[in-house]
Amino acid sequence: MSATPTPQIAITGLGCVTALGGDATSTWEALHTGRSARGPLTAIAVDGCRVTEGAEASLPSWPSWPEKRLRRLSRSTRLALPAVRQALSEARLLDANDRCLLPRLEMSVSTTACGMEKGEEFLRALWSKTRTGQSARVAQYQSQAQTGAIHDLFGFDGPVMTVANACAGGGNAIGHGADLIRSGMTDIVLAGGYEALSELVFAGFDGLQSLAPEACRPFDRGRRGLMLGEGAAFLVLENAGRARARGAKILGYLAGYGQTTDTHHLTRPAPDGAPLERAMRRALEQGRINASQVGYVNAHGTGTPFNDGAEAQAFHRVFGAGQTKLSSTKAALGHTLGAAGAIEAVLCLFALQSGQLPPQINLLDPEPLVATALVGVGEKADLSAAMSVNLGFGGSNAAVLFTRA
Amino acid sequence: MNLSLLSAGGVTPAGLGTDAITAPWPVTATHSHGGVPVQAGLIEQKDPSLLRWQQEPRLRRASPITYFMIEAVEQALQGAPHLDRDRTGVVASFFLGCLVYSVRFYRQITEEGRRFASPVLFPETVFNSPLSHVVATLGLGGPVYSQIGDKTCWASSLRTAQCWLANGDCDHVIVLAAEEFDPHEVDALHSGGLLRGGLQPCEGAIALLLGPSASGPTIGAIADGYDFRTRQEVLEAAERCLAEFSPPTPLLDTATGWTRTAAAKIGRSIIGPKATLTEGFTLSAAADTMRALDIVASGQSPEVIVPVWGLTRQVAAYRVTA
Repeated sequence: MSATPTPQIAITGLGCVTALGGDATSTWEALHTGRSARGPLTAIAVDGCRVTEGAEASLPSWPSWPEKRLRRLSRSTRLALPAVRQALSEARLLDANDRCLLPRLEMSVSTTACGMEKGEEFLRALWSKTRTGQSARVAQYQSQAQTGAIHDLFGFDGPVMTVANACAGGGNAIGHGADLIRSGMTDIVLAGGYEALSELVFAGFDGLQSLAPEACRPFDRGRRGLMLGEGAAFLVLENAGRARARGAKILGYLAGYGQTTDTHHLTRPAPDGAPLERAMRRALEQGRINASQVGYVNAHGTGTPFNDGAEAQAFHRVFGAGQTKLSSTKAALGHTLGAAGAIEAVLCLFALQSGQLPPQINLLDPEPLVATALVGVGEKADLSAAMSVNLGFGGSNAAVLFTRA
Repeated sequence: MNLSLLSAGGVTPAGLGTDAITAPWPVTATHSHGGVPVQAGLIEQKDPSLLRWQQEPRLRRASPITYFMIEAVEQALQGAPHLDRDRTGVVASFFLGCLVYSVRFYRQITEEGRRFASPVLFPETVFNSPLSHVVATLGLGGPVYSQIGDKTCWASSLRTAQCWLANGDCDHVIVLAAEEFDPHEVDALHSGGLLRGGLQPCEGAIALLLGPSASGPTIGAIADGYDFRTRQEVLEAAERCLAEFSPPTPLLDTATGWTRTAAAKIGRSIIGPKATLTEGFTLSAAADTMRALDIVASGQSPEVIVPVWGLTRQVAAYRVTA
């Protein structure tokens, strides 16, 4: 009996909303101007914090829904919906009324804070003995409210796997989507992540003194912390045979996925980056691709001393000082936590398609181990493979490998 | 990919150990919501088996849910001493997650000021922190996911285990359900209308160590992800979901709270009457899996369908076969 061949995973749709743009194309174009979205925050209360700036997204409008209905949704839902619409539209899975052509479509999704501001509002109302509106706050906080809104708006349902593996979750959600197709459990998955700024999370990182008091400088020896951001991104992953059969345009392939758990410390990676290195090597092994074939790595690169140091070591051991280029787009877009891996996957696919590389901005004094790898503004390369790497609290690591269509 | 049970561990209001998973969960405390008493099934946190974990340096500041989880997983691992822990994955399912520390941290923010909230507390509020502690302390090296959602998150977690085993990502998977109680939960459940129907919240953790199997009592096909938006739609969602399974197979009695009304209208034979109204969300869903495995193992029925009434958004079901 011959073994069933492992299906190839095609990407047939993508979309994102970030602090630099309301869609994937505008985000990509803005990235290449070398601009950072850092600015004063208005969406959440930050007075009293050490740091009061971050990367806030403009909430996209939704012409077919009245503003009153939109206001009931959590901020994270409002970020997720347009990203899903872009992805489904590009995959040609929407009809003229923006309804999904598939009645059932599996989702693999990441978030760390769900609709957190609704949970915060619930507690504040409870403590001030306000009883009205509590039902909606409870409902909109939960993760199933965000994924449910996607189902309701686009008219489908199906299994939902919501992973909360902290800042690696976006990579995990996309990798798991591919795993589901590989296993034969499904042949198409909407995979991605979403995250909105929230008071609790912002104050938490501020209390840890993890926020950069000025520009976020990943892989700079003078780096002082991260910049929190918000956004959402989704990809349509599809068995390549199915995609070709229905004539879908293939934007790239998901070739490999590796995940590991770093048990060194709850919030700090192992200084030598060994667990992350294992995740990267697993992704390469699954994709049957040599490290030398990977032309670009979108790093986690939060700009914190611990993260970037460990990541630089892992990168150096896997890719050496060869041709592989490296940048962290969090200096421009902010760290979007559960959405980060999904947004950065979208950027890897744009890089593979265009040959343009997202520049490493805010660099003054590069970390020596990766100094020659860091991408300069306007740099291009003929890429055949690119990798997105994410690390999270709790030691979650994810590496996702993409190849050109 | 069929899953078989190798061993299990439980920390429930009925006590510690596998017997505590399927034994009736008593109510142990009464909380008040607006002057109305609400009974809850809580864990005796001074139990020496739980307190011992506080001696672990990494766990000194961990949340209560972490202690429930690590004790349940350790019990399951003790039942399989020759397991290759490097090839064992873990997937945890939560409806509420790290509720106690999240509420405490936000209270500090609002009462003491954003700059003065405890930086030690914040990382413990993150959904995947408890599982990270479990994996680090017990030395598990396979894939690790913390999954969230309504009660059907349990069915989704079983499906993740099937996926990992089918792809050869690991040899075994511990599927874990855990919830912790905070008095604010009573207000949230009341606001969400979930206390109607006599629902009594509870806490704890249940760990099932599962492996691939072609024989013996197994968890088989899972039908996951059938939406309802209103309570009026839940019956229709359940009927769509259960249409995936052949009608003669009896359904396990799993509904609690408001879903019991809809469950009573399903025109199928019911097996294993539910002994308690205590509801631990993913925890109860895990206990239902154990009840179903016991039923088929004891010969009461060769097969049973286990519905998972998600309480807020979805319905799922899966087949358990002797």
